[in-house]
Amino acid sequence: MKLLLAMTTALGLVTGAAHAQDKTITISVYSFGMDAMKAAIFDPFEEVCDCEVVVETGNSVERMAKIEANAANPVVDMAVMSSHDALALARKGLLQSMDVSQIPSHADLYESAKDPIGDHLAIGYGFYATSIVYRSDLVEINSWADLLSDELKGRVALPNITGTQGPLTLLMLGKAMGTDEITFSDTIDAVGEHADDIVTFYNRSSELAQLMMQEEVIAAPVGRFAWSRFSGAALPFKWAEPEEGQAGGMNVMLMTKGNGNEELTYQFIDYWLSTEVQTRIAELKLDSPANAKVVVSDEIAESLTYGADLINSLTTLDSGAIIDNRDAWLDRWNEKVVN
Amino acid sequence: MFQNNREGLALALPAALFTAILFLLPVGLLLSEAFKIGGQWSLQGYVDFASKPLNQTVFLRTLKLGFLVALTSAIIGYACAFCIVNLDGKNRGRVFGLVVLPLMISPVARTYAWIVILGRTGIVNDAILALGLSDTPIRILFTETAVFLGLLQLFLPLMIISLVSALENLPKDVIPAARVLGASWIQVFTKIILPLTKDGLVMGGTLVFTGSLTAYITPAILGGSKVLMLETLLYQRVNVANDFVSAGIIATILITMSFGANLLLKRIAKARS
Repeated sequence: MKLLLAMTTALGLVTGAAHAQDKTITISVYSFGMDAMKAAIFDPFEEVCDCEVVVETGNSVERMAKIEANAANPVVDMAVMSSHDALALARKGLLQSMDVSQIPSHADLYESAKDPIGDHLAIGYGFYATSIVYRSDLVEINSWADLLSDELKGRVALPNITGTQGPLTLLMLGKAMGTDEITFSDTIDAVGEHADDIVTFYNRSSELAQLMMQEEVIAAPVGRFAWSRFSGAALPFKWAEPEEGQAGGMNVMLMTKGNGNEELTYQFIDYWLSTEVQTRIAELKLDSPANAKVVVSDEIAESLTYGADLINSLTTLDSGAIIDNRDAWLDRWNEKVVN
Repeated sequence: MFQNNREGLALALPAALFTAILFLLPVGLLLSEAFKIGGQWSLQGYVDFASKPLNQTVFLRTLKLGFLVALTSAIIGYACAFCIVNLDGKNRGRVFGLVVLPLMISPVARTYAWIVILGRTGIVNDAILALGLSDTPIRILFTETAVFLGLLQLFLPLMIISLVSALENLPKDVIPAARVLGASWIQVFTKIILPLTKDGLVMGGTLVFTGSLTAYITPAILGGSKVLMLETLLYQRVNVANDFVSAGIIATILITMSFGANLLLKRIAKARS
């Protein structure tokens, strides 16, 4: 009898576990701030939906390659990417046009976040500004052109062209030089001429933070999401407001085509975009909100890319232009700058 | 040793299968992609790779740094190894322990230490300023010099270990004998020590050279995107461009260089004897 009871209990446990795993959503996200994201979004959502959230992380290239490789039978239901990476996937026919009526929070988003790459193939969930962080006791930055000035010779770092911040930096340098050529040829050539004066082309903001704390670098363009690394430091760092303005971009959510898990995916996207969750994420300084109803204190806002005025003032790069030109940028960069 | 060959083969089988299935097969599959274009066998990928100026620069830089690190570590290695084998038992153990110690520390930690040492506010620049050799700090980080120093420090112990074991096998009386017969120290080194320790040099040289070619962390941290080496370029091709064909080509070049270096050093050693 005891044995029977034990077997029944075990069976119950197994079927119970199998039932909980019946509802599963697989998401592909940046690995940045994973523990905090899990606590702020993924774990609470599991309680709301009574489902399991399976999280996949990695760099964008890896994550995109995975989505492409599993196109016939998608493993990932929902992913967050930069808007140009999303467009690249969309052009390969890997994304599903979303029915925004299934996402009530969509109506609360800033206009530019509602349909950033067209056909509702992506929805913006977070903005970032890009400007120059600098040591206010050693130098003053008023223009993007200051990055290549004699004053900063040997003390400046630029983001690598292969990242998201690199092309934005070239865009703003071009603006300061009076060119709006999307081929960036003059701008890349100018960086090439100053290559010896540039300490390095950094790949991660953590790398830059270390170089700036060590006083190796005193000015560099960086995304606002990394500002908290600098604002709390002992050294006097300042966020520049150059006369050409700040650059910026948006990260988006997308749904893979034919994943068969649309209902739960819509529920998750709606949850992430909701005022409640977007406020929580903003207060933790994990992402700057795309939901216009989010209200945060001045102190929090200071760390984020927050508010309609700032968001509307950002100079952005067209996602299509990035995809169409980046191979040519990289070739010219390799030839003129790093060779 | 065994009753018949079968027993020996049976004992070798698990290791052989392990290597074949988990190493040779995946490497073969990966590298075969580097010889294909659109599913067809082709060497065009190599022609395209070699025609790009950046790839040429990176290839020559990798070769140059590998060679310089191997050469410098051989010079320092001989001096250190010679000192170590001439110490008495206890001190020899202690000094040898100090040489081996860095190998037990993660390369990441060892390389990060160089960032502090070589930085603008590091001890090297402090010394340069204090000695009046320059008015302003010199930029060493993210230059070939930084990568060279990092690789040298990383692989020098391997050369010293190889040379110590080679010098230990050197008959004790050959050097005094040569000196008594009127050989200069240079002659002693080139005619006696070098030929008798060449196996250790070949072993150490191969380890250091191939290590320098294939090290990733040190060039990535100390060279960054400005001083690309083949291995950092490989990483860039895979992780930034998702370009596995170029990555396969670079991997093939790196493996060929490693084997080539070993064969070349063996041949030089043979020619001298």
